[in-house]
Amino acid sequence: MTTNFETLNAGDTIDGPDFAVSRESIRLFCDGSLDYNPLHLDDDYMKNSFGKTNFGGIIMHGMNNFGLITRMLTDWAYPAGAIHRRLETRWVKPVKPGDTIRPVGIIKAKQVTQKSRWVLIDVLVKNQNDEKVATGEAMVEFPIAA
Amino acid sequence: MMQAQGFETDFWKDANVRKVWDEIIPGVPRKTLPYLLTKEAIQLYCRSVGEDHPLYFDEAYAKASPYKGLIAPPSIHILLMFSCTPTDDWMRTPGTVNAGQSWSYNIPARPGDTITLQARALDKFIKRERLFVVHDNVFFNQHGDVICSGRGQTIRPM
Repeated sequence: MTTNFETLNAGDTIDGPDFAVSRESIRLFCDGSLDYNPLHLDDDYMKNSFGKTNFGGIIMHGMNNFGLITRMLTDWAYPAGAIHRRLETRWVKPVKPGDTIRPVGIIKAKQVTQKSRWVLIDVLVKNQNDEKVATGEAMVEFPIAA
Repeated sequence: MMQAQGFETDFWKDANVRKVWDEIIPGVPRKTLPYLLTKEAIQLYCRSVGEDHPLYFDEAYAKASPYKGLIAPPSIHILLMFSCTPTDDWMRTPGTVNAGQSWSYNIPARPGDTITLQARALDKFIKRERLFVVHDNVFFNQHGDVICSGRGQTIRPM
């Protein structure tokens, strides 16, 4: 069913895709993003502590969450003729090889402005243990048809 | 990988010439580089997050869509941040931890665009013994149109 601004309600959900995280997926994200920070590549380096944190091995790029949330939002918006306008995210828990993560969106509110219509969405990414790894908010514009 | 050709993937190289937290001055523009965004670079990025929408891959579909041609996904700024900055930029400093991001999107980037970046540290602070920098970034296409603008926070290595 195509999404429609009028029929959307607070509490409606947007289901995102499962994403299996592996050393290979992290390496591919390095190549795709050109972010070769050793946090994502170098097990020896990751034996070090960062302040009070020790990750115990390489971790997925936080921005991989961001890219996955974006994928969920645009796949939802494009068929409705809507436009993904804003995404804010925070990382809650590191993601490691072997994890499977999945984003979800929950419609928070709708807002009509002078010239357009907007949907505000709470987003979160959970891992296979139902733990939150990232949270955020998004804004999708549903332009008024000309 | 084609995209990484000419790109220094060893982030330890030049690590000693990059600015540390103490040297980063909020307000001072960062050095940036224009970058020719190719279809191949967009599609490699797409594959790394499982993006398979035909707007990014299928020329005929994209042409018939309201976008009238192939586009990049909004999150392409993840790639642009590294492709539009030089090797001595402090975003590459090993151990830089991303602490959160917010981005606003205006128009899509497209294959063949020459992308430019205006960027600076906007603020820096210390919280719970951690060194934070707030950065702001605006990406433009070759016509001077804003593609997207964003603010991020990183925790700097000690």
